[in-house]
Amino acid sequence: MTGRQRILARIHHQPLDHLPVMPIAMMFAADVAGVRYGDYARDHRVLAQAQIAVARRFGFDHVSAISDPARETADLGGAIEWFDDQPPAVVESRAVLHEKGVLDRLPLPDPLAPGSRMRDRVDGVALLAREAGDELMVEGWVEGPCALGADLRGLNTLMLDFIDDPPFVEALFDYCVRLEVLFARAQADAGATLIGIGDAAASLIGPRLYQEFVLPYEKKLVASIREMGVPVRLHICGNTRKIAGGMGETGADIVDLDFLTPMDLARAAMPEPQVLLGNIDPVRVLRDGTPEQVEAALEECFRAAGPSYIVGPGCETPRGTPFANMEAMTRFARTRL
Amino acid sequence: MADLSKLFDAVLNGDQKTAVAVTQEALAEGCDPMELITKYMVPAMDEVGRRFECEEYFVPELLLSARAMKGSLELLRPLLASSGAQPAGRVVIGTVKGDLHDIGKNLVASMLEGGGFEVIDLGADVPPERFIEAVREKNARIVALSALLTVTMPSMRKTIDALKDAGVRDQVKVMVGGAPVTPQFAEEIGADAYGENATAAVALARKFAQAG
Repeated sequence: MTGRQRILARIHHQPLDHLPVMPIAMMFAADVAGVRYGDYARDHRVLAQAQIAVARRFGFDHVSAISDPARETADLGGAIEWFDDQPPAVVESRAVLHEKGVLDRLPLPDPLAPGSRMRDRVDGVALLAREAGDELMVEGWVEGPCALGADLRGLNTLMLDFIDDPPFVEALFDYCVRLEVLFARAQADAGATLIGIGDAAASLIGPRLYQEFVLPYEKKLVASIREMGVPVRLHICGNTRKIAGGMGETGADIVDLDFLTPMDLARAAMPEPQVLLGNIDPVRVLRDGTPEQVEAALEECFRAAGPSYIVGPGCETPRGTPFANMEAMTRFARTRL
Repeated sequence: MADLSKLFDAVLNGDQKTAVAVTQEALAEGCDPMELITKYMVPAMDEVGRRFECEEYFVPELLLSARAMKGSLELLRPLLASSGAQPAGRVVIGTVKGDLHDIGKNLVASMLEGGGFEVIDLGADVPPERFIEAVREKNARIVALSALLTVTMPSMRKTIDALKDAGVRDQVKVMVGGAPVTPQFAEEIGADAYGENATAAVALARKFAQAG
């Protein structure tokens, strides 16, 4: 089976040859390819070359266009700080929606606008699809409503908006979903065979606000992408113990868990056949542990998750992860069914 | 008479308007500002910390309580300064150079402030020299460093090394925290302590302050 067939078989609950493996690798990929991360995030050709190199070197089943959360915000005129060798970041003190009223006149950006950061990702997806799409799953990436809302409004301010001005939060998330559907469609048209949604900020707000404000918009985004015929991976960084049930309700084909949510608890909240991915501690085990510890931690995740499982760390593969540990991860996947 | 239990409730429930109103009323009646802090606001923020730790409160509730507390503190601070009352301790806090993530640092800063500490918050992406300046200028005894990215963790080491080079390392206790930070890493870089979360940071700061 190819990596692409293997992931699709897992998603569709069909027989496969061994467990799929889909780690998020960004800075690790750039390091493997010997390129600086600033170039990786700026230039889709650098990203695609590094993604293909890391996937082939370690036997991943996918390549991904994920790089940083600032693409959409940059195209909306948000302030971004660039670094030579780490991901660019949104400058919260100069948020696009510093004034709430700006939302009413904020246009939906064209993801194909020449020279835009969204276009660069779309071009990255197209290149990945051309170079590796027969063999590997090609993952596009969009921000979830809470993550993009936080990037546009400022994370600290958004946290208070949930209580101070609920209608504004709803209008903001509605805008975010409309934008991300356009962005996802452009990536699907360019050849993405999977779309990842990252909604990190959603782990900060607790179950009541998640159910009321975030889940309805995540559901809408997931459903819109699935209507394009493309499956969805949902990743929420952080402690999602109290919202795990909701993550399962989004309809995402793959729920990718951070390490702070114990896999047995996640499985109880999201029964089979929900596909779960993860979730060994990226720093303490994958980067700082031994190959034996990586294998033992994955064994425990697999045991707790049961059959509908995909191998991966809880969050991004850290820079400096020993190759032997990454090899232990793929070896684990190849020897389990 | 001002019903001071309402101050406790207002901070706990994140009701800034009531917190400010009760504080104004209490001050008009001649209440001791320090007593308002130590008997009502610190216990309220301790309870906020407890609820946060056991996942009854989340980030929005914590920030709301912090906002209510700050509304009240703004009224009390000038009075404390003129009376010569001392805070529980002075903490210089910031997210280290290269890292723009500040929500975790903000939670810790708020909880420290709620614990009766004077907090000098340097913000995010803070170069080592600004920590040194703040320690000198404010005569702070505690430095708290935050990082969310594995790639910015080396800035923590650089900051501690810079404190050493500037000759102020011995006058401060340094605590570090953030998602990828581990107790082992804290030890490796020569920090005095690792705090897993905001309430742990307050407990550490209290321990340091008591030790003098």
